[in-house]
Amino acid sequence: MSSRNKILATVKNNQPGPSDLPPDHNGPTVNGVDLTPQFINILEAIGGAAFLVSGYDRIATILREQFPDANRVVTSCHQLTAFAAGTSAAAALSAETPADPHSFENVDLAILPAHFGVAENGACWITESQMIQRVLPFITQNLALIIPRNAIVATMHQAYDRIATLEAEANASVTNAPATEGFATFIAGPSKTADIEQSLVLGAHGPRSLTVFLVDEHLSDAGFY
Amino acid sequence: MSSSTNHKDHAALATQFNKDEARVDWHDQTLWFVRAKRDKAAAQVPDWETLRDTASRIKDNVLSNLSEYLKQFEEAATRNGIIVHWAADAKEHNEIVLSILRNHKVDRMVKSKSMLTEECHLNEFLKDNGVEVVDTDLGERVVQLADEPPSHIVLPCIHWKKEEIGQLFHKHLGTPEGNADPQFLTYAARLHLREKFLTRRAALTGVNFAVAETGEFVVCTNEGNADMGAHLADVHIACMGIEKLVPQRRHLGVFLRLLTRSATGQPITTYSSHFKRPRPGQEMHIVLVDNGRSTHLGRKDFRNSLKCIRCAACFNTCPVYRRSGGHSYHTAVAGPIGSILSPNLDMKQYSDLPFASTLCGSCSNVCPVKIDIHEQLYKWRQVIVQEGNATAAKTAAMKTMSWVLSSPGVYHTAGKAGRWFMLNVPFTVKNKWNAWYLQRELPEPPKQSFGQWYKKNRKQ
Repeated sequence: MSSRNKILATVKNNQPGPSDLPPDHNGPTVNGVDLTPQFINILEAIGGAAFLVSGYDRIATILREQFPDANRVVTSCHQLTAFAAGTSAAAALSAETPADPHSFENVDLAILPAHFGVAENGACWITESQMIQRVLPFITQNLALIIPRNAIVATMHQAYDRIATLEAEANASVTNAPATEGFATFIAGPSKTADIEQSLVLGAHGPRSLTVFLVDEHLSDAGFY
Repeated sequence: MSSSTNHKDHAALATQFNKDEARVDWHDQTLWFVRAKRDKAAAQVPDWETLRDTASRIKDNVLSNLSEYLKQFEEAATRNGIIVHWAADAKEHNEIVLSILRNHKVDRMVKSKSMLTEECHLNEFLKDNGVEVVDTDLGERVVQLADEPPSHIVLPCIHWKKEEIGQLFHKHLGTPEGNADPQFLTYAARLHLREKFLTRRAALTGVNFAVAETGEFVVCTNEGNADMGAHLADVHIACMGIEKLVPQRRHLGVFLRLLTRSATGQPITTYSSHFKRPRPGQEMHIVLVDNGRSTHLGRKDFRNSLKCIRCAACFNTCPVYRRSGGHSYHTAVAGPIGSILSPNLDMKQYSDLPFASTLCGSCSNVCPVKIDIHEQLYKWRQVIVQEGNATAAKTAAMKTMSWVLSSPGVYHTAGKAGRWFMLNVPFTVKNKWNAWYLQRELPEPPKQSFGQWYKKNRKQ
């Protein structure tokens, strides 16, 4: 008998009697609360930075000030390609450009959109189609993510509800290609480690900084940043 | 270390660790610091207890329907373009990994943290077959350079001091001698390992959760090393124990809320990556490993331990683990959970581990999936003694005790004799052959027994 059949037979023979799944747990109810302050507080506590902005011009201004020495900037946001090209030795890449993942070795700053943020842990959900290449959000020295300010959910339960909705929408709009994403990740803060005597160090293998921009078109630039 | 059969037992290894008292205190306090962070994180989640209960019940359902979920997962993953393998034991697991690497003519690989591969002794096996493995988690790289196994499943080099890591990096990575700055050493490791990520064509990762419904798997890291390896490699091999399944994707919400808060007190790991399909041109493999798990599932009193999500909260809280160190458990998964998982793999070799506990129950109280760890430790003791795996000294002591306690005459004589010896010739009990005297001061012997006192006072 193959190992597969042997394992499955033993498991079936040894598994306990039926035990139903518990009812869905959705976490505490938080209707009508602005989740932005909680998201920003937690993101800052885990080593990230957050900016409430009115739009892409503001993002370009802030990034120019934050990363004046960035040599290679890559983005999948068409609103920022001019900014990226202006600072970059190589031309900015669009989402359609296929590339060898190793070619991103020298990226100083990647600016990518993400779908939404999670208030309880400061994480952003980003899928393959937003990141040019899977390795980019990890190999870049610095990462900036952009989400709409109103795209913040309370907990991971609402996050997975949102993921299911995103997938259903993609399925409805695409006919031939596989609609679901092949890779996706929650990113919460910059890469970090505390393996040496529990001392927190930002920038283990991935980005040394993470900046999240919360875009609110109704916002006035005055008074911010 | 755990592959050797002539190992010292937990008590002997703990004694070795305890020779340096200041170091034991430091180890104890470092882990307690992590435990305190866990408490703070848990207290900030209002529905924490409901979450634990829900997680535990989801895992009950997984165990009760595991054969179906495994088939469902295999089918979905295969549909997604992932190649699924089944390994009955450690040997088959190692051979599958080697054959994948040989097919691709790969003899150098990067690996992110996987306790399963520690359990299977994959690194040694691959080394013997001419494959170089570089562990890329910083803590794992430290212990790998030092030629040691990890001492903790989440914090692999928690027993190392920064000065010692500085010395180790000086020797292997060429950092300046005497530099023990964590920031500097981490940066040196970043440069050292970036070169490995960029040049290795195969990457192996562990799996935190796999979803039966969708055929995807989730890998959680803070460093980003699993992603750096997997997304740069032509071949990604993910190895998982068969118990890592959850039924539906939405169940990940429950487990991801619990995992890192329980492990380090962070609200979530920096990266929680969901792998569903290989990227174009890449090959993705999953190895489903049994290695004793299906047998364990049949042990009614012990199967609950298969719910474990490897957060290590039970390590950090355990008064024995904190003061005896991970290596004293001579197994890949140490601590309280390792002490109930390991006897299933080899009852003789790990017969000492269920005794490495005070049964205080703190492990069960912090467990995010509500495993009755301390009760299982207690139950393992009965099984081990019944099956004749207790040490000769313990068996003899228990038999003597049973003889003394079952006969009032013998009991009174023994009590009298004990008091007489302690009063008149204390050196006969206060010596290195009396295990009870080693870490304890013996009490002043009373002048009379309670029996004598009662008789006297009732007359008055």
